[in-house]
Amino acid sequence: MKRNKLSYKVSQFLMFAGPAALLFLAVVIIPFIYGLYLTFTSWDGIAKEKPWVGFANYAAAFGDGDYWMAMLRTGIYSFFAVILVNIVAFTLAYLVTSGIKGQNFFRAGFFVPNLIGGIVLGYVWKFVFNRAFVAIGSALSGTTVPSLLSTTGGAMFCLILVTVWQYAGYMMLIYVAGFMSVSDALKEAAMIDGCIPAQAMWNVTIPLMRASFVQCIFLSITRCFVVYDVNLSLTKGEPFNTSVMAAMHVYNQAFTYKNYGLGQAEALLLFVVCAVVGVTQVYIGKKGEVAA
Amino acid sequence: MKKRKIAAILMTVVLAVGTLAGCGGGSSSSGGGSGDSSAEADSSDSGSGDAEGITIFNSKMEVQSQMEEMAEKYSEEKGVPVEVYYSSDTVAAHLATKYASNDPYTISMVDAKDVYSLAEEHALDLTGEGWVDKTTQAISIGDKVYGFPVCIEARGIIYNADAIKNITGEDFDPSSIKTKADFEDLCKTLVDGGMEAPTGVMKEDWSLGAHYLAQVYEEQDDPDAFIAGIKDGSVDLAKDEKYNSLMDTFDVLKDNNYAKDAAISAEREVTEQKLAEGEIAFMFGGNWDWSVLNAYDYTENMGMMPVPQDMEDDFSGKLVGGGSKYFFIDSSENTSETQQQEAKDFLNWLVDDEEGQSFIVNDCALVPAYSNITLEVADPLGKSVKEYTDDDLLVPNYNYLPDDHYSICGASFQKYLAGETDRDGLAKEITDYWGTAEVGEH
Repeated sequence: MKRNKLSYKVSQFLMFAGPAALLFLAVVIIPFIYGLYLTFTSWDGIAKEKPWVGFANYAAAFGDGDYWMAMLRTGIYSFFAVILVNIVAFTLAYLVTSGIKGQNFFRAGFFVPNLIGGIVLGYVWKFVFNRAFVAIGSALSGTTVPSLLSTTGGAMFCLILVTVWQYAGYMMLIYVAGFMSVSDALKEAAMIDGCIPAQAMWNVTIPLMRASFVQCIFLSITRCFVVYDVNLSLTKGEPFNTSVMAAMHVYNQAFTYKNYGLGQAEALLLFVVCAVVGVTQVYIGKKGEVAA
Repeated sequence: MKKRKIAAILMTVVLAVGTLAGCGGGSSSSGGGSGDSSAEADSSDSGSGDAEGITIFNSKMEVQSQMEEMAEKYSEEKGVPVEVYYSSDTVAAHLATKYASNDPYTISMVDAKDVYSLAEEHALDLTGEGWVDKTTQAISIGDKVYGFPVCIEARGIIYNADAIKNITGEDFDPSSIKTKADFEDLCKTLVDGGMEAPTGVMKEDWSLGAHYLAQVYEEQDDPDAFIAGIKDGSVDLAKDEKYNSLMDTFDVLKDNNYAKDAAISAEREVTEQKLAEGEIAFMFGGNWDWSVLNAYDYTENMGMMPVPQDMEDDFSGKLVGGGSKYFFIDSSENTSETQQQEAKDFLNWLVDDEEGQSFIVNDCALVPAYSNITLEVADPLGKSVKEYTDDDLLVPNYNYLPDDHYSICGASFQKYLAGETDRDGLAKEITDYWGTAEVGEH
């Protein structure tokens, strides 16, 4: 049996990657292509006929003001959430690697929010915002204060806050790994050369952790852009549909309003936007990576 | 060497099986989608003559446990296996996945608007069934009957008579509240008597958009023409008499709202608890609210009355409502003729058999839609609705509103409730909505 024969390579591939590739094909690639086909139909999701309409759905998607509002909202939400998630995660990672007492306990503690599913988490926080904060606010001010969730800006603020709370612990783990990978010898050398700790951090540790940043920012961007579960359980788009994110609009369009083709086209546009942002960020981030 | 090779192969197999097993749950249900349906059809055809059993999709969460019990009993007594399923998903979205995987329910419970969109392709013609003559609420398209009304539900103002009596000292007579002024005066009396705020307003978009606002269309002599008028500009909604009449009354509800300062954060459960326990006296809602009210320390002295309005017309003194939740039987080749017959028998059992009647009225506490069912409705709101139904005092539902109406117009209405827009602003947003929206075919 020759190891460089094509048949050998194929059989090796099939043995190791075959099952996974087949499944990936069945649950991702084929539905994606089928979905692409559906964007050219005016299917309502349940009828037997799928009338072909060409590019009408894309034209409608570009003309759907609510969709682009939702997209803009998602952009704003992602912008703040990504920055805050990473700042908080980095700070936490710094604290739990700096040798404070019980740091393993803190690492586990900060990670726990990520173990709670988005839906449950949304309901828990909804209760906190609607009852606990309102009760405290009312007691302090003496009048009934409206819940943050019922004000236009407040609902967005709540979404960002909950997202930061949820993801900071997860990203923290990646940053912790980054911190651990920077050898103490390098930091010591910098200190001997006259750096103060902040300079050593800025000039030595952070550049060497670039890979962690690229990874964390990529993960947080892609997750924020397609946020749905927290959006659904925390605000449900309220008040006045001003907290409807792109993914929720797509779901409503396809399933609630029964414009399946249009919803699918909008989902595809969301995918493209998400992919472009994510890939650009990784490209820029990777370019300046330094090897230790 | 050989041992290592065997070990490697074993590892690979374990890994491969692991990957497959991980997706097993998901792929088994979606597998039917792309696969052929003949396997299912074969298995259901083979046993003709014997009972094949039916599946029922229930979309009324509050009666799920009763449905399951009934299914068990029915299966035992009639020898026809019945299985009941529930999903919290949107009805149409859930059925869409079932149809996409060629695995529809034999009987599905849907909303009236779904019957119009689904029936012609998916529902069995039920013309000529015994129950059709016993109800006024069946849904027909063309000359074919498709929808079996499960119950009657109606909207109006829910009152707590005990809470009112505690303050006025007199028994509350709902028929004394006819106009907006009557209602306003009573609210004032209640406030003067020590009730902090006499009303509650649900902020949910379906309550505001699909239930309250929809009355503006429903209480027109010709709702179709009225909506067409809004669309082509010949009707000025902001100046419409019915719109203003209803909004006047809504203002009374809004001004007396216990959560006036924070109307959009009011939670439905809290509002209903206050109503049940008599902290507030009125709320706009429907008899389905009983399933929430009865979770609290409620009084039996509750009921429903029409929304009091200054405008006097054919619709004064009537609740708005009619058949709610419809059963239809699947007509596709996935459901065999035997199953279709079993499904028909089941629907007849609900209407004609004493046990079936008792199931709807006593077990599920629903208001029956059939004239031959004379059982007393147990819950107080249902009792009110039954009285109005028997006296023919129901304004029919307008079932052809587009699917996004409740969400978009409901959001506009929420702005009005929150004080972020005024009556003209709301009328303008609704008119803008109708600029592009189309009513369903009927």
